[in-house]
Amino acid sequence: MRASSFRYLVKNGIRNLWNNRMMTVASIGTLIACLLIVGFAVLFSINVDNIVKFVGEQNEIVVFIDLDAPEGYSDTLKSELSNIQGLGDIEFVSREQAMEDVIENYLDGDEALMEGVENDFLPESFRVKILDPEHLDSILTQIENMDYVLKVDAPTDLSNTLMNMRKMVNTFGGAVIIALVIVSLVIITNTIRASVFARRKEINIMKYVGANNAFIRVPFVVEGVTLGLIAALVAFGIIWGGYNIFLDAVTSESNTWLGSISQNLVPFEQIAYQILGYFLISGIVVGGFGSAMSMRGHLKV
Amino acid sequence: MIDLIDVSFQYQNGTEALKNINLRVNNGEFAFVVGSSGAGKSSILKLLLREEVATSGQVIVNGYNLNRLKNRQIPNFRRSIGVVFQDFRLIPNMTIYDNVAFALRVTDASLKTIRQQVPYVLELMNLKHKARMYPYEISGGEQQRVALARALVNDPPLIVADEPTGNIDPEFSYEIVEMLKAINKCGTTILMVTHEHDMVKYFGGRTINIEEGRIVFDDYIGGAYES
Repeated sequence: MRASSFRYLVKNGIRNLWNNRMMTVASIGTLIACLLIVGFAVLFSINVDNIVKFVGEQNEIVVFIDLDAPEGYSDTLKSELSNIQGLGDIEFVSREQAMEDVIENYLDGDEALMEGVENDFLPESFRVKILDPEHLDSILTQIENMDYVLKVDAPTDLSNTLMNMRKMVNTFGGAVIIALVIVSLVIITNTIRASVFARRKEINIMKYVGANNAFIRVPFVVEGVTLGLIAALVAFGIIWGGYNIFLDAVTSESNTWLGSISQNLVPFEQIAYQILGYFLISGIVVGGFGSAMSMRGHLKV
Repeated sequence: MIDLIDVSFQYQNGTEALKNINLRVNNGEFAFVVGSSGAGKSSILKLLLREEVATSGQVIVNGYNLNRLKNRQIPNFRRSIGVVFQDFRLIPNMTIYDNVAFALRVTDASLKTIRQQVPYVLELMNLKHKARMYPYEISGGEQQRVALARALVNDPPLIVADEPTGNIDPEFSYEIVEMLKAINKCGTTILMVTHEHDMVKYFGGRTINIEEGRIVFDDYIGGAYES
């Protein structure tokens, strides 16, 4: 195909958008609605995942060192712990500090009650942050198998609950997104099909003067891709503005639980390119593919 | 050249439209195809344009054996025929110029060719001054002249006209046939389907009469125009 012919077909496709502006508006509107629903579902899923991850990271385990451990063994254990993947800050709690904690937490700070009591019955310990709550079980097994570990206190129930929640959100979010993408594809294909149907006479004439299928299809595909592109950009703008308004509203409630959650919401700028990429790809593929698919029946003349 | 050899055609609903037709239209000929409604005129056109395939027999047009023509070869075949329809079939959102140019564009013609050929045929059809107008802005007779210009622009060896005067005022009908006659004089084969017997009698020439799917008359008749 000559470059001039291709230019003509592309120009024709774009001109068709204006000539069939009612259908163009309907298609773009439908596509924007679908992209927005999918976009907000993705944002919701990303944020829930982030919040659950953050809450999970607040958990810590306490590793108690055996009372029979040799003097200074805590350094060895600390280096062994730091070799385990999925653990964050490791904080050493000495016997003195443990005694202070007992007085503070169980004796209402009344030091007199423990006067004359030695702290050698209290084990030294490490408070360890968990970065990867998903692998908590295997981490615990590794620590429990280390020498001179008396016991390990870990919030396994909470961790499991959080993990299940995260899995549920991911699975449910994924399923919702897939369902919405399919629904969008069906709606868009039908909208474009209606546009193609309205112009079936035009296609018929093209066939009679000897146009091949590619020649007929190119302007329609250009039309579909262009409206997909427009819809993607508009939807991106709306989702950007909408999400930032939501963030501003939530952040202003700094004293409430909403405010504390908002600190863990993902800023739009962080995922803007990702969302824009998804939108552009979805818009172009759905628009172009929808057009090409919708034409098949009308090309047999 | 058109060659129909023992052609029969039956629609999917079982209607037998053509029964053992034999017809040859040589290069450079002008032939009228007449007949009452439902006689089989449209069915012949559908076969000639490869819209349908003959149930039996051979259909050969411009050297293409249409029984064996593959789907991907149909566009090339159709470019060898200029078609004029009763309802003009112009693309409504294209200007007159673009409607005519479209027939060249589908052949991947260069811009230079388009810029030479389109004004030339519009001039021939006396439509150059209306090139920038849209089909709905001109009369039926003018729309049919645009359709004729579109059929002619590729310089095809054969023009098939399906009731080209059916939708236009009588005073312009004769003008359209005169144009077809003039094109024929330049060597283009013309097959014109019509039910206007008076017009056929006026112009004369080869006349093929179809009734109930069979050719019942195929001969030359004298006409006032010829004399």
